[in-house]
Order: sequence, then structure tokens, then C-alpha cells
Amino acid sequence: MPRNSPLDRLIDGLSSLKLTLLCLTLLMVLVVACTLAQVNLGIHLAVERYIRSFIVWWSPEGSAMRLPIFPGGGLVGGVLLLNLIFAQFRKLEFSWRKGGLWIVHIGLALLFVGEFATALFQVESNMAIEEGQTKSYSEDYRRMEVAVVDETDKEFNDEFGVPDTLLKSRPEITDPALPFTLRVRAYYDNAALSMRPAGAPPSIVTAGIGAGMSYEPRSPVTADGEQNTSVAVIEPVLKDGKSLGVFLVSNALGAPQGFIHEGRSWKLSLRLRQYRHPFSLTLKDFRHDVYPGTEIPKNFSSLVRLKDAAAGDDRDVLIYMNSPLRHGGLTFYQASFGKNDTLSVLQVVRNPAWTLPYLSCLLVSLGLLWHFGVMLLKSLGARKA
Amino acid sequence: MGLMKANSALLLPLCIVLLSAACREEGVTHARVPKEEAPAAGVPTMPGAMPALDAPAERPRGLAWTLPSGWKEIPGNGIRLATFTPPGGLKTEATVVALPGESGGELANVNRWRGQISLPPVDEAGMKAARTTVATKAGPAAVYDFTSEGAVRTRLIAAAINVQGTTWFFKLMGEAVATEAARPGFLTIIKGLKLDAAK
Repeated sequence: MPRNSPLDRLIDGLSSLKLTLLCLTLLMVLVVACTLAQVNLGIHLAVERYIRSFIVWWSPEGSAMRLPIFPGGGLVGGVLLLNLIFAQFRKLEFSWRKGGLWIVHIGLALLFVGEFATALFQVESNMAIEEGQTKSYSEDYRRMEVAVVDETDKEFNDEFGVPDTLLKSRPEITDPALPFTLRVRAYYDNAALSMRPAGAPPSIVTAGIGAGMSYEPRSPVTADGEQNTSVAVIEPVLKDGKSLGVFLVSNALGAPQGFIHEGRSWKLSLRLRQYRHPFSLTLKDFRHDVYPGTEIPKNFSSLVRLKDAAAGDDRDVLIYMNSPLRHGGLTFYQASFGKNDTLSVLQVVRNPAWTLPYLSCLLVSLGLLWHFGVMLLKSLGARKA
Repeated sequence: MGLMKANSALLLPLCIVLLSAACREEGVTHARVPKEEAPAAGVPTMPGAMPALDAPAERPRGLAWTLPSGWKEIPGNGIRLATFTPPGGLKTEATVVALPGESGGELANVNRWRGQISLPPVDEAGMKAARTTVATKAGPAAVYDFTSEGAVRTRLIAAAINVQGTTWFFKLMGEAVATEAARPGFLTIIKGLKLDAAK
């Protein structure tokens, strides 16, 4: 292969220190821009748009057109990871004396991989438990699902959750355990609900309390602490094509809606997406300690009973700041509280890559120890000589 | 170049992870949940959102009833003012709801009831044909009796009566056989309706 071929130039570019500096500069710009954008977008959306994206897009006011204006954190981080790997193999001597630097580079590469894996696989949710209450599910902060619940049994409910991603992407939803198909007539992340005025044109909603309501789509809210009023218009349809009614469900509607089919009582609702866990937590006690004579918080803690029949676990666990419970691939952090200190809110995080940053720090520390140890020995040897 | 090949081999698993993550799609979840853990119907509304419709309603006054022997009354919740259960553990129950004004009109309510047991809507003539009138001490009550189709049948008997600008709905619904057994007692309650002396 001749020198200065396009491949050589590409490899030279990918392993250059200039590219490293460019990427680090771009990352700094992204961090500043993302911080400023949080004012209008809220933390979640700002991070999604600037850090966990490959391209930062911009739309002119009042236009649906999107223009790429800057590389996103995903793209810059990916290039930086390639730069690190190429530089390592291209420029770093493969010897025991440079072994420490090799380990440091591998540790850094692992940090990048960990962030990519976190962005792709991490799921965050909340578990709000009152003292004495037992829960085996947590709820998403923002995402919704249509809950189709068979309430016929006296002891159990059969709950089917249809996530908002399916409601947006599929006109009909089927499940082998459901005796009907769910036809999605409309879904809006955010909408304004109101009672239908007299003389309004007929609604497509024919059943339930939604038949007397109207809805108007709105732009989704993104600011922290704000909640969308999502709306789904759904129609259960039997296999022979017979409709069981068109229902409007929304997380802002508390009234139960449903129908009876073949003697089974079905309820429909739209709620925050639920994640079921194969174990339960019972809140035994929530403590909100303050410094004596002040209202300044000193400690928040939740004493919970963890029951996991499959794992043979049945024990008390104290969750407090910086001391989460890790169980079943989930981490439970003390996040918030309410109801006169009788309600505890735990942040529930599923992140299969949570060990990677720790492993990365360990590798970087070991690598630096190795490298400086070698340098020290070399220096001592030079003095003796 | 050997090292570069090793480099490509390192990148391959990363690409597979990224692609598999990009292609994943969620499906319908299914869980069997004990009743005591099931969340209350609907989601608590956020501050500033429209008020929850299952919030406890103040009971409108103006109508009183007497239960036949063996029937029990359970205090209502949300917009439901009361629930009556027949004797014998029958798989049917009666509910009471009161709404201001015409509450959507008689035809809309009749079709709402029919929809609850998967029957197609009827027109004005169909509604009149299905209606029977029962005299009460508080005025005439329109009574409708519908039975669903299918292998397992559900029966719904509903009575609507307008008292001083408020429409009261009494609805008995459950398994067809059980509802037939509870029907005489339910009609006794309807016939015994009277103006509330406390009003």
C-alpha cells in the first residue's frame, strides 16, 4: 500500500492530537450550550438534544424545517473514542514500560463506552410508597401507557400496558391474551381537554366520559416539574370487526371508563408507564432528620422490607442519601418525600452499564500507579548510575 | 497493520451493541396484579391540571330511598353516590349517580349504557320502544332493560329520574342470571323513591 494513500491520511487524521483538542473544545461548547438551553427546555430535553444526540438541530421560528447546526455529544464522543483507540494503537509503543499508559487509555475508552451504553439502555423511574404500603412497580417520569385492565377476578387484576411508542407507531395493537384488538384512532403527547360545547360537531368518541369532551393538540411541555396532558383515542374491536366503542383516555381524567364483554369487566385508562419488578418493597419507616433547633435537613432515609421469593430474599434495608439499595439489576436512591413525611419517593434506575465508570476509574488509577512507578524506578536507577 | 485489525475487532462489538439498541422495540406488557396493590383508577392529576373526576363528590340532596330486606348500601366514592348489593352474594350490583341538568340527554345516556355491555347504539325511536315508565313518589322514572350478546351475558337495568333540576341514575348491572334474580328488589327501590324530607 503506497504511503499517503487516502486510508493512511484517514488513519493519521483519526489518531492526531489536533482531533483530540478539537473534540474536547466541541464538548466544552456543547456543555455550555446545554446548560443555557436548560432554562427553556428543562434538563431532560436539553441533555437529549445536545449531549445524547449525534446532531444538534435547529428549527427557524414557526417552521417545521430542521437544520443541523452542530455535532451532538454522541458524535463528538464517538469520534473522541475512535481518536483514543487509533492514537493508542498507532502511536503508543507496546511494551511493559508503556503498560501503564495502555491501561489508562483502555480505562478512558471504557468510560466512553459506558456513557454510550448508559444513554442507550438506562431506564429511570420513580417509586412513591407510603408508610405501610407495598409496591412492586415503579413509574416513568414522562412516558405514558394505555392500561387495559381486566378487573373481573376478585383477587387479581390482569393488566396490559401499551407503551406510548406503540400508540404512536401502530394503528392497531394486538396481544394473544387480549380478546380484542386495540385500534388507535389518535394519540397526542399533550392536549388541552375541555367539556364539549352545546352544538359542537359530533365527536369520534362514542363511549365513556370522553364522549362529552373535546381535545385540542398542544406542543409537549418539557420544563422540569411540568406534566403533559396526554390523550389517546382508542377503539377496542372484536375479531369479527365489531366495535366495542371509541374511548378517550387521558392522564388528566380520573374517572374510570370501561365496558363489559363476555361477562368480563374491562377498564381503560392512560397513565404513566409502569415497570413491574419481580420483588416488592414495603416502606416501614421514613425519616426526615433536621439539625437540632433548625429546619435544616440533616438526613433523609427510608427503612424498607425487601421481599424477593425467587431470590430467597426477605430482609430490612435502610436507604439513605448516597447509600442506595441495589437489587435485581436496579438501584433505588432516596429521591424525595411528601405527605407530612409519610411518603417516600425512591428513584429507580436500571443501568446495565453502571459498573463501567467504576471499572474505568480503577483501570486509570492502576495505569497511573504503574506508569509513575516505572518512572520512579527509572529515576532511582539513573541516580544510582 | 496487525494492530489495526485488532482495532477493528474491538469496534465490532460496540457497533453491534449500538445497532441492537437502535432496533429494539417495546411490546405490550402483561402482569397479574393483586387487587390491593392495583393503583386507584386514573392517575393523580398534577397541580394546575383539570380536577380529577374521581374526587369525592358532595351528595346532592332531594331524593331518598328504602332498601328491601337483605339489600345493603355501601357509601359511594367519586361520582358514585352509593352502591347497593343484593342478598345472596349475587354477581350484580346497583349504583347511584346524580348529575346536574339533563346530563347529555336521555338518548346519549341510553347509548352509553348500551355501549357498556357492547350493544350498538339505538335511535330516538329505538329508545322509546325500549323505555318503560315506573311511577314513584318523586315522579315518573324511565326504566331501560338491556342484555348483552355473547356466550356470557351481562344485563343492565337502568332508571333515570329528574328531580328539581338534577338527573338521578340508578343502574343494576351484572351477570344476566344474577341480575334477573335481583331485578324485583331493584324495582322495589325505584318504586319507593321519594323526595328527601331533609331538603
